[in-house]
Formats: sequence, C-alpha cells, structure tokens
Amino acid sequence: MALSTHTTPSGFLLPSIHSAPPFFTHQPNQSTHAHLTEQWMRLILTYARHKRLFILRVEDAEVPGGDWDKILRNERINRQIPPSYLSSLMAALVVKNLAVYELAKQTHAVLLHWHLPEEWAGVLHSWATATGQLNTILTFYEISDPPIPSPLSCILIPLLRRAITILSRSNRAQIIGVADGEGVRFFVG
Amino acid sequence: MHRGVGLAAFDKEQLSQRFANLSSELSKTQVDHLQSQLTQFRTALLHFATTHRDSIRSDPAFRHEFQQMCSSIGVDPLAGPRKGGWWAEMLGMGDWQYELGVQIVDVCVSTRERNGGVIEMGELIRIVSKLRGVESGVITEEDVTRSIKTLQPLGAGYEVLDVGGGKKMVRNVVKELDADQAVILAEAQVEGGRIAEAILENRRGWTRERARAALENMLLRDGLCWLDSQDEHYGRAYWVPSAMRWDE
Repeated sequence: MALSTHTTPSGFLLPSIHSAPPFFTHQPNQSTHAHLTEQWMRLILTYARHKRLFILRVEDAEVPGGDWDKILRNERINRQIPPSYLSSLMAALVVKNLAVYELAKQTHAVLLHWHLPEEWAGVLHSWATATGQLNTILTFYEISDPPIPSPLSCILIPLLRRAITILSRSNRAQIIGVADGEGVRFFVG
Repeated sequence: MHRGVGLAAFDKEQLSQRFANLSSELSKTQVDHLQSQLTQFRTALLHFATTHRDSIRSDPAFRHEFQQMCSSIGVDPLAGPRKGGWWAEMLGMGDWQYELGVQIVDVCVSTRERNGGVIEMGELIRIVSKLRGVESGVITEEDVTRSIKTLQPLGAGYEVLDVGGGKKMVRNVVKELDADQAVILAEAQVEGGRIAEAILENRRGWTRERARAALENMLLRDGLCWLDSQDEHYGRAYWVPSAMRWDE
C-alpha cells in the first residue's frame, strides 16, 4: 500500500501523511506525537485558509459531511480523528498563538489565525485604501459582507475587532458608535 | 714495545671500502629502478584516472568493477593523500563518496522525526537520487553501503542492517536494534508497514507477551513505530514508517 497525496473536490491537496492510518491516533511517544501534531496544525491552517474557515469545534470531528469532514476523516482508509485528539490539537494551536479560544473559559471551539491579527490589520487597511473608503464610516457588516467579494469577506467580528484595534494603535483607524452597532473609520497610515 | 699497523690491516680496510661502494651502488640502482617503476605506475594511473574518471563517477556498473579491482589488489580508492593514496586525489573518488555520505546524512536527519532513525535502503536511495537530480539506478546500494562505512569514524551509529527477504535498512541513530526488532522490521515490510501482535504470533510463533513487549518498546522507547487504534482487523496495530511507502 502506497501512501499518496489526494486532491479533494474543492481542489485542496491532502498530504500523503493524511492517508497513513496512524495519523488519526493520538501517539503515546513524545517525539512522534510532537512531529504529528506539527503536521496536523499545518494541515488544519492551510485547509482553513483554502476554505476560508474561521472556527474549528471539537464536535467537527463527529459531524459527517461538515465543513471539516475532508481533513478530520479519511473515508478511503476509514479513519477519523477522535474528538479528544482534536481537542489536544486545538490546545497546541492556542499555545502557539495560531488560534484563540473563541469564548473565554471554553475550550471546545477555536478561532483560527491562518492570518495573524497583525496581518489582517494590513489586509484591512489596504482594502480600505484600494477601494477608496478612507475617512468614511463603515459598519462591521459592510466589511464582512461587502457587495464585491474581498479578502475580508466572511471575516468574523471578533477577529475584525482585533485587527481594527491594532490599526487604531497607529492612528490608522477609529472605532465609532453608529445607529445599529459599531462602525469604523480608516485614516491614511 | 710498539708495533705499528700492518700491511694486512691496510688491505682489509681498502677491501671493506670497496664493498661498501659496491653495495651503495647496487642499492642506488635498485632505488632508481623502483623510482622509475613508480613513475611509470603513476603515469599509468594518471592516464587511467583521466580516461575513466567520468565513467567511474557516472556509471554504476563501471564503478562496481573498479571497486572490485581495487579491493583485489589491496588498494583503497578512498585513502586520502596523507595515507599515501593518490587515487582519491586523481579520481575524485573520495569526494564523490564523501558527498554521497553527506547527502545520506542529510536525508537520514531530515526523515528521522518521521521514521525514528531507521530508513529503508530503497527509500534512502530514492530520496538521495532526487536530491542529486539523477535518475534511479545511478546510485547503487553498494555505493550507499560504502559511503556509510566512511561515516563510521564519526560514531553517529550509521549502519546497514539486513532484515531478511532481500530488504535492507539503514539505521542512523546510536541505538541497538535487538533480534526481535529486526524481525518486526522484516514483517512490517511485508505488510506495507503495518504490524500487530497477532501477525507475530501467527507467522513467527511468538507468544503474545513477547510480541507485545517488543512492539511496545519500539513504540514507546524508540519511537520506531506509530500506533493506530482504529485498525479494522486487529484493533490496535503498529505502523513502521520506515517500512511504509511514501509517494511524495
């Protein structure tokens, strides 16, 4: 049996290790575990970026046909990641600042940083500049669901807020209260 | 009473002087002769080196013949100039072999996390060939084995292991593989990397305890195999990454 790469219907290239049955078991040997954790974290983040997924939940391990199905299980070899293993991978991501727990005091879901908040801040500011929206007030909704799809489409509000906070530290953005919630105004950096 | 040195003594001294002259003349001729032979040999060697250098480096069959020839006349083609070997210098054979050694180390180190320090010979050759950008068959098992021998003084534990069934593994950690582990490596080869207690019981007649102890040691202590707790057939199976075929 050869372990080969596999391309999902959405065009994502799964690495050959994904077709190795023991990849789906929590390894008892420390260094093996560290090595495979590394592989899993990379896989989760690249897949999230490919599918623009922001949230990973422990339950995703058990949802057939869900967003994460293609990587959390491999029906070709009949393996799936146990929720407890997924949970430990999420903890490892959080330790490396590649994710944060979505809600404080809860460890069953993480917000993934396939771009770091600092990178999102850059993306956000260049988008506002490129689309000529400096100095105008934009609602969060206008940013996360723009009429023309942008690199920020579907961005989650907590992440957006962190990016704006980073920009406001260098006076490139300002959070403003608007009628139906919050808005932001961007300035030339 | 004083007696001077006699005539006989004078003759004796002259005689021994003449003998000494003769002997030094003889040995000088011998040395000259040897030196001319040596020069001739050097020239022949240089000629051989310049003519066949490229073939030795690029043609595995020719290289094999050359190695055979060297070992039959007791010449080490890798001996450096300090050991009195000009082979290494003239042929660049040493460089070639050491380069290969460096690349072997490179591959072994970069795959160690994955395979725990044991790599299958074919896999090693495949990756090294890829690294050098040469087609398969240009680097042979013999070349790799020879290069690994040159690495021995480093004491890094590089060794070629015969696991039976015509399969060879290269161990690259300072770790002794015991006989049971060698058997496990061989059996895992047959199964594409997978191994389980029951396989060892059935095929090798091991007791369950022996199989478990050997497998758990490989898993926990040595990191030479990975655990799969979702195996359809055995429930708990072990996978030896060095025996798995990775298409990358």
